[in-house]
Amino acid sequence: MIVSEEEMLDLRGYKFPGGVRTVEHWENWLLTDCTTGQQLPDNLVHPIALFHVPIQGSGCSISELFSLVRVQGAGSVGLDGYDWEYFHPLKEDVPYLCEGEVIDVQRVKTDNGKIYDRFVFSIDLLNESDLLIARVTNHWRLWRKR
Amino acid sequence: MSDLSSYIGFDLPTLEVNLIDPQKMKTMAALLRDPYPVHWDQNANESLGFGNRVINQGPLNLSYIANMLMEWQGPTCIKRLKAKFLKPVFDGETVVAGGKVLDVLEESSSRILCQIWLSRGDEIVLTGEAEIIVTKEETD
Repeated sequence: MIVSEEEMLDLRGYKFPGGVRTVEHWENWLLTDCTTGQQLPDNLVHPIALFHVPIQGSGCSISELFSLVRVQGAGSVGLDGYDWEYFHPLKEDVPYLCEGEVIDVQRVKTDNGKIYDRFVFSIDLLNESDLLIARVTNHWRLWRKR
Repeated sequence: MSDLSSYIGFDLPTLEVNLIDPQKMKTMAALLRDPYPVHWDQNANESLGFGNRVINQGPLNLSYIANMLMEWQGPTCIKRLKAKFLKPVFDGETVVAGGKVLDVLEESSSRILCQIWLSRGDEIVLTGEAEIIVTKEETD
């Protein structure tokens, strides 16, 4: 999909709506099962929940993110990297306030003529006492010409 | 290894994940509400030259490393995960999560820095760094 560079750069600073997300036991159980790992004790949420919980909690969805950055179809988006910080363990049935924004967008033209947008967003998770529980910074690669 | 500096260079116990299950990718896609068909529609990947295999979700690849770390130092040991995704992993493949202790970040909290990776045979498909808290003594 052709998207102008200006249109993409305008996304810098875009704030997600924000919201509250709670991970219930059934969801955590299935998530952990998908990892092939053992179920965790003490209602601990599996650390990999930091992929979808912040996105959904911030009032967005992966589908809405795809619409925001104008990608669709197989091969249009890839993961460049994650930086996930765990300040306190996440627990089941605890409501987390999620707030975040797009922190960087860059159009990259490779030596062999390919074009992609480097898209970076960050979301904080706080508990009801405003204590910072976790922070994610995700780097996506949005292919424009392959 | 009561002296944290003696951990530097230590190879973390590896974790092997055999024959990655496409059914788990489908469940994962539903949990994530992920509309990207490469994880659940075999036909979607033919045009990409990947045959009729589906691609494992990046978070699942990283989860194998998280599980490896938690098996070593307990379920609350992970303080930071930095990951870079290098290659896709497909259903039916076998991968191994591994790592090595690089440095001691803070003695007082027993916080160490580890290099982490996920390999498929001799190929590294995911690499990065993890900061974890050491609570269990290694008996070597």
